Parts: sequence; structure tokens; C-alpha cells
Amino acid sequence: MGLDILQGIISIIIILGLAPLFAGLVNKQKAILTGRIGAPILQPFYELQRLFKKETINAVTSSILSRISPVLNLVTLIIAAAILPVGFWKPLISFNGDIILFAYILSLARFFQILAAMDIGSSFEGMGAAREATFALFAEPIFFFTIGSISIISGFTSLYDIYHSIRLDNISYEVFIVICSISVFMLAVTECSRMPVDDPNTHLELTMIHEVMILDNSGIDLFLYQYSSYVKLFIYAVLEISFFYPFSKQSYLLGILIFVTGCVALTFALGMVETITSRYKMKNIPQYLLFATAIGILNLLIYTFTN
Amino acid sequence: MNDLIDSDNVLFVAAFVIQFLAIAFLAIKNQRAAFFSSNIVLLVGLTLGLISTLSSAFFSSAGISSNNMFENWIRLDGLSTYFLFIIQLVAIPTTIYNFSYLRHYIEQKRPIKSFIIFYIMLLISTQILVMANQAIFFLVCWEVMSMSAYLAMILEKEKEEVQSGSFYYLVASHFLIFILYIMFFLLHQQTGSWFLSDYHLSFSAGVVVPIIFVLSFIGFGIKAGFMPFHFWLPQAHPIAPTVLSAFLSGVIIKMGIYGILRTFLFIKPVPEWCGWLLLVVSIISAVFGVWYALAQHDIKRLLAYHSVENIGIIGIGIGIGFIGSANNLPAVEVLGFGGALLHTLNHAIFKSLLFVGSGVVYQNLGTRNIELMGGLVHRAKYIAILFLIGSVAISGVPPFNGFISEFIIYTGFFKTANELKDYYPILMLMFVVGLAFVGGLAVACFTKVNSIMFLGSERKEVKHFHTSAYDYISLGIFALLCIVIGFYPQPFVRIVNKVITDGFVAGNFSPALVNIDWFYFTMIFSSIALGIFILYLAKIKVEKKYGRKISAAWGCGYDNITPRMQYTASSFADELNTIPKSVLVYHKEVKVSKNAFPLTSGFESHSKDFVDNKIVLPLIDFLKSLVAKIEFLSQTDIRYYIAFILIIITIYSLIAFLWV
Repeated sequence: MGLDILQGIISIIIILGLAPLFAGLVNKQKAILTGRIGAPILQPFYELQRLFKKETINAVTSSILSRISPVLNLVTLIIAAAILPVGFWKPLISFNGDIILFAYILSLARFFQILAAMDIGSSFEGMGAAREATFALFAEPIFFFTIGSISIISGFTSLYDIYHSIRLDNISYEVFIVICSISVFMLAVTECSRMPVDDPNTHLELTMIHEVMILDNSGIDLFLYQYSSYVKLFIYAVLEISFFYPFSKQSYLLGILIFVTGCVALTFALGMVETITSRYKMKNIPQYLLFATAIGILNLLIYTFTN
Repeated sequence: MNDLIDSDNVLFVAAFVIQFLAIAFLAIKNQRAAFFSSNIVLLVGLTLGLISTLSSAFFSSAGISSNNMFENWIRLDGLSTYFLFIIQLVAIPTTIYNFSYLRHYIEQKRPIKSFIIFYIMLLISTQILVMANQAIFFLVCWEVMSMSAYLAMILEKEKEEVQSGSFYYLVASHFLIFILYIMFFLLHQQTGSWFLSDYHLSFSAGVVVPIIFVLSFIGFGIKAGFMPFHFWLPQAHPIAPTVLSAFLSGVIIKMGIYGILRTFLFIKPVPEWCGWLLLVVSIISAVFGVWYALAQHDIKRLLAYHSVENIGIIGIGIGIGFIGSANNLPAVEVLGFGGALLHTLNHAIFKSLLFVGSGVVYQNLGTRNIELMGGLVHRAKYIAILFLIGSVAISGVPPFNGFISEFIIYTGFFKTANELKDYYPILMLMFVVGLAFVGGLAVACFTKVNSIMFLGSERKEVKHFHTSAYDYISLGIFALLCIVIGFYPQPFVRIVNKVITDGFVAGNFSPALVNIDWFYFTMIFSSIALGIFILYLAKIKVEKKYGRKISAAWGCGYDNITPRMQYTASSFADELNTIPKSVLVYHKEVKVSKNAFPLTSGFESHSKDFVDNKIVLPLIDFLKSLVAKIEFLSQTDIRYYIAFILIIITIYSLIAFLWV
């Protein structure tokens, strides 16, 4: 019991500590793939440090909401991280039905981020908030279709148990899991405002979703938002890497090795996707998301009927 | 009659007597004095009622006693007690809000005594309705409830919108009571009894029981507002006085849910198609209810559509319960009905909160159009926060009560998928995703409502924002209940569990509901609250060290920004509303002037109700054209009418004669 709690706490620290590093790795990969040298891998840490020391500016029209929202964002993500199993360790919070809590905790963060954006009373933020609300609506079903279908097949409703139930003994189940991991990847791209859906690098307001929502934030507020977005990216990365759980069961060393390789491979995949695709038109994004949902539905149907 | 000597019952009866007495106080000449004294007496009566309900055997001890009174005409079983508890719990803060809401009418010297009489009648008849154990008595209470709600609704009867909106309600109420007549007639004919507690029928008995089920679903479904029958809700809610809207949406439409559950107790176990019927109708209600809400600009109409959504969620829970009942799976049954019952309580709380909140804003701004609001958080910070609590709760987002009941329903889906293999997992997953989709839409809708109403800067200048202590007390009680049920759901779950033990589950009882790890919720939600508090303090400390200043928002170098340039509700929801354009009957209009100096330009969007505009109104037109064909029979001479009556009576007598 004591060991479980210790492991749970260590997993949270791993997620919180490594999240900016992961983001730095993605940017480095992308830079190399596009033929640039790129910023150092530790760049996100430097940027966070810089933001921390900057003056905070609040808009005249803003209220207490936009001051609380950055804090709430980070706290909810920490709770989400506490539900997530890192490797084969039992997470701090694990009970029957925690996948529902996981999805809804993230939705709480979104609720307040949209409100904080609208709090500024500027059309830029409004546009971003409306887009966030629209696309989140189509992203949520992807989570429930992929993780939910594994849950329904295995009979567990806790993230830890779900990932534990993944076995590699049946070829149709293997295919099923692989396709699920593709859906999760598409979800991660959406939720973390990465390339085909959102471009984290442009600063043209009309094209952005997440960036434009935090346009008027600075100093410690921006620090919290940026850090939260790194944590969120890493949470989805861990969600993806955990599919390799069956391989890492043998020993600690192998587990760590697979975790690290998985991270690097994922940064490579994200960098690759961002290099070879361009951002979709706004009106095509729901189609992209529905495509990911359709994969989930077809996958479950095919698996059910082949068994 | 021995029961009456019981001390519990003395309090119980006294509570009702005091509530009736409240009417007598209206005899006082001075309107203000009459209103205040009667409202206080009503509050005392309601509080006593709530105390006696809570102290009854049902809530206090482990056992369940069905309390029969007045020669069996009044009967309190688990379901009745639970609904009585909901009614009284919601009625108290709503009645407190009465003090604040009706003050304006008194100041304008408008007659409100009739409104108060009907409001009191409504409260009393609703409370008696859930306890009525005699079919005719039940129908009488139902009719008194419907009619007093109608008569209270037409407080501002000189307005045209009030006349048309309340007429929708009147027609819907009358239509459904006919269906209930037929249903109870069939029940009586099958069992030979007028007492609800005697009705025990089985689906194997023949074709009558399915008819009873369908009739109850239509009849009570109109009251509850399931999707094809919802059309009266968005018409009647906006025009009713806010106090009444809150009670109507919080409690009265739940009487439909009570009716459906009561019918289930007559005819359980139900076959599986009943469950599927309810699930499909409910998921449609939930998805399109919230989607319609997203397209509205009238805050009260928007909230009315959200009632349709929440009734859908409750219906989903009942549907799972029915499927559990059909397959004899107590665990599924407990989770389904448990989620439905708890969501009934939760919706009653947060919907009343939101209606009262919208009423406070309406009193000050004189408009229900959210496009004219904005920036109210700077005027009334606490109203905004209380309204926000209700919004988070209704969106089903943790840590408030809406999440708890939705969580139970989700667990019900997963349980059904586990217990019944075969094709069930896929279907259940579809419903899980449907419910998640509804959650996402609700988030979109309530972020829209909150941000347009309360955030940003004022679109229409507010000279003075008046709030009274009654507003805060009323909203505060509701918000506190939202928080308590969210953070500490165990006692409420236990109550719901007890209701289900009392007659819902046929086989062995399953502890599925109490076995959910509720402890984790308390822990997680408290740590979120604590974490926010600590981090916020730390953030303020950092801000102190490195500085913080207030400055204008980024405007791309343009510094002549007006409140009208803010993002509006129409534009916020436009992208989402365009998707089901034809269902929402969604029109948008972009006005651009072609002049060299464009002066007038704008954007407008409207949504009309599909059922109302494509089904109900054409049907009425069709009936009108039919009636027009026999218009020549309409004569001014009364003797013609007497002749018609005689002819009809003769025909009826002949039929009756031949029948015998």
C-alpha cells in the first residue's frame, strides 16, 4: 500500500517534471526534420523561467475568473495526471469509473479556460473560445470510443485496469489495440493543439485556437497556461505510450527503456506529422475529428464481429 | 385512522394545514402586508413539511414503512417520500425568492393576490399529488396542479406573448389529462380497484398492459417534456413569472417522471422494448434539447430547452433501469434508476438556481435577451459566482452535483455492457458517446451563457443593479446544495438507494450504487478546491514580487473599442448551430449595406422549434380548415345548439343501449 502511494506520487512528479522536456524534444525533432538547427531541447524550461519573472498584465474588462482560471487549469491537469498510470505503476487515484472522471476533469479545465478567454471581452479571444468549444465537442467522443471500447471489451472501467488488461495473445485483438492507439494519437493532436488542427507557432489570430485564447495573458498567468499545455501534451503522450504496457511487464529496466523509447518515438511522430501536413481549414476540422471517431466505431464493430 | 395520533403525522398534517392557512392571510387589505404575512406562513408550512418528511421513518431508520392515511387515500412509500422531499426542498428557496420578485409588482400597485393564491395551490396540490393513492384523487390533484400553474402563469395577461405561451401550456395539459383518464380507466378495468397500491399487472396478461405503458409514456411524457412532446416547454417557461418558471422547470415537469416511475411499479417487470423506447427517445431529447438551447438568445427559453435535455438524461437512466428489469439484473436496475432519481433531485436544484439567477438579471435589465447583457460580473459579483456554480453543475462537470448523477448513469452503461454480452457492448458504447456529446454541448452552451451575460463589458448600459438579501439567500441555498451533493454524495446516494429498495427491484438487491467509491470523489474534489486555493495564494505572492498592472485588452493597435465589438452569443454558437441547420430551423442573416459608406450592417440568427413549426402548427391549421367546413352550423340562435345537444345525446344513448 505504502509502495503504491509512493509510486503514484513519483509518477506525478515524472509527468510534471518531464512535460516541458517532452515539448522541447518535439520542437527539436520538428526543427531537424525541416532542416533547421532549432532551439535547445531545454528551451521550454528557459521560457517558463522567463515568463515567471515577467510582470502580469490583466485586461481592464477582466474579472476574477481570468485570474483563477490559470490556477484551476494546472490543478485539474495534476489531478488528471494522478489518474494516469505511468508505465506499470499504479496511479495515485484509481477506482472503478475513473475514465469518466478523467474525461470530465479535463472538461472542467476547458470550461474555465473558455470562460477566461471570454472574460477579456475581445473578439480575438471570443473566436478562439468558440472554436475550442466546437472542436472539443467532437474530440470528446474519440476518447470514449477508443478507451471506452477497450474498457467494454475488458470489463474494467479504471484506466490502470484497462491498460493492465491489454494482452498480446490474439491477432485480432492486437490489430484492435493498434488502431485504438491511432485514434488516441489523433485525439492527442487535437487536444494539445498540434498541427493538422491547430498551429502552436503562428501568431495570426484568425488561424489559432489555443494560442488566441491566452492572447491577453502574461507573466505568471501565461506561465501557468504554458506549463499546463506542456503537461497536457505529456499526459496524452503517456496515454499513448501505455499501449506498450504488455512489453514492459518483464522488468523495471525494460519498462523504463520502453517508456523512454516510446517518448522519443512519439516526439518523432509528432514532429513528422507537423512537417508533412499543413493545418486544415477550420471548417474541415470537424470532419477530421469525425474521421477519428469513425475509426473507433469501425474498429469496435470489426473486433466484435470477428470474435 | 389510528395513524393520525402518531406524533409524526400530527406534524405532517399540521404542515399542510399551515400551508392552507397562508391563503387566509391574503384577506388582509394592504397588499404588501397580505403578501408578506402569507409568504412567511407558507414558508413556515413548507419548512415544517420538510422537517416531517425528513424525520419520517423513511429517512431516519433503516426500515421502510409505507404510511397509509385517510382510509388509504394517502400513501407514503419510498418513491412518494422522495418526490415530496424534492418538492419541499425546492419550494422553500423559491418561495424566499418570492419576496424579492414580487416586490416590483407591489411597488407598481399591481394586483398579485390571485397569483399568490394559485402559487400556494400549486405547491399544495403538487405535494398531495405524489402521495395520492386513489386514482380519481390523483387525477383531481393533477388537474388542480396543472390549472393553478396556468392561472399563476398569466400574471401579466395583458401581454400578447403571455397569452400565446400560456395557451400552449393549457392545450398540452388538457391533452395529456385525457390520456391519463384513459390510462387509469384501463387500470381500473383490469384490476377492479381505484387504489394505486392495488395495481399489479403483468405484461404477459395481454395487449392492455403495453397500451397502458405507451399511454403513460405519452401522457406523463408530455408533462416531462420528452422530445416530440416538448414543444410547450419553450413557449410557456419564458412568459411565466420567474418564481413559477423555477418551480415549473424544477418540480412540475418532474411529475411526469414520477408518473412514469409510478406506472413502472404497476407493471414491473417490463419487457426490454420499453427500455429501448425510453433510451432512444431520451437520447434524442438530450442531444437536441441542448442543441436547441445553444441556438437561443432568450435566457429563459434557453433554460427551458435545457430542461428537455435534463429530462432526457433522467430518461436515459430510467431506460437502463428498464433494461435491467427486463433481464433481471438488479445491479443494472439500481444504477439506472439511481442515476435517474438522483438526477431528478439535482436538476430540480440547479435549474431552479439558474431560473432564479436569470430572474434577478431580468428584474434589473428588463430584458431576457442575452445579446443585450454583458459585464454584469462587475456589477454583481456574487450573483455571477452563484450562477456560475449552477452552470458548472448543469453541464455535468465536476465537482458539483450534476457530475455525480451522470457518473452513476455512465456506470450503468458499463455495467449493462458487462452483464449482457452479445451486441449490448456496442449499443451501450453508442449511448456513452451520446451522453459525452451532450456533455460537450452543455459545456459549449453554458460557457456561452455565462460569458455573454456576465463577462466582458456591458452591451446595454446598466444604471443601477439592485440585489436584495432574499436573492442571495435563495441562490445561496441552491448553490450550497449543489456543492454538498457534489462533494459529499454518500447520504443522497443512500436515500436514492433506499427508494429503489422499496419496490423497484424484484430479485436480490444489489449494492452496486453504494459500492461506487464515493470516498474518492470527496477526496479528489476537496484536493482540487484546496489546490486552487493554495496555488492562487502562491500566484498572488509571485505577482506581488514581479508586479501586476491593469491595462487595455490587445486590439491590434485599434484603441476605439466599443462593447458592441465583443463576440456575441450568435457568433459564439454559429459554427455549432450550422451543423444541424434543418432540425434547428436555423436562419442567419448577414446585413451588409452596399453603399460607399457602409453604415448599417449586422448579423442575426434565429432558431425555431422543429416540432412546433413543422408538426404542431401545420396540424392546427389543418384542423382549422376542417372546422371551417362545418362553420355553416354555427348559428346565432341558441335553439340550434339545443337541437345539436339533443341529437348528440340521442346518438350516445343509442350506442349505450346497443352496447348493453
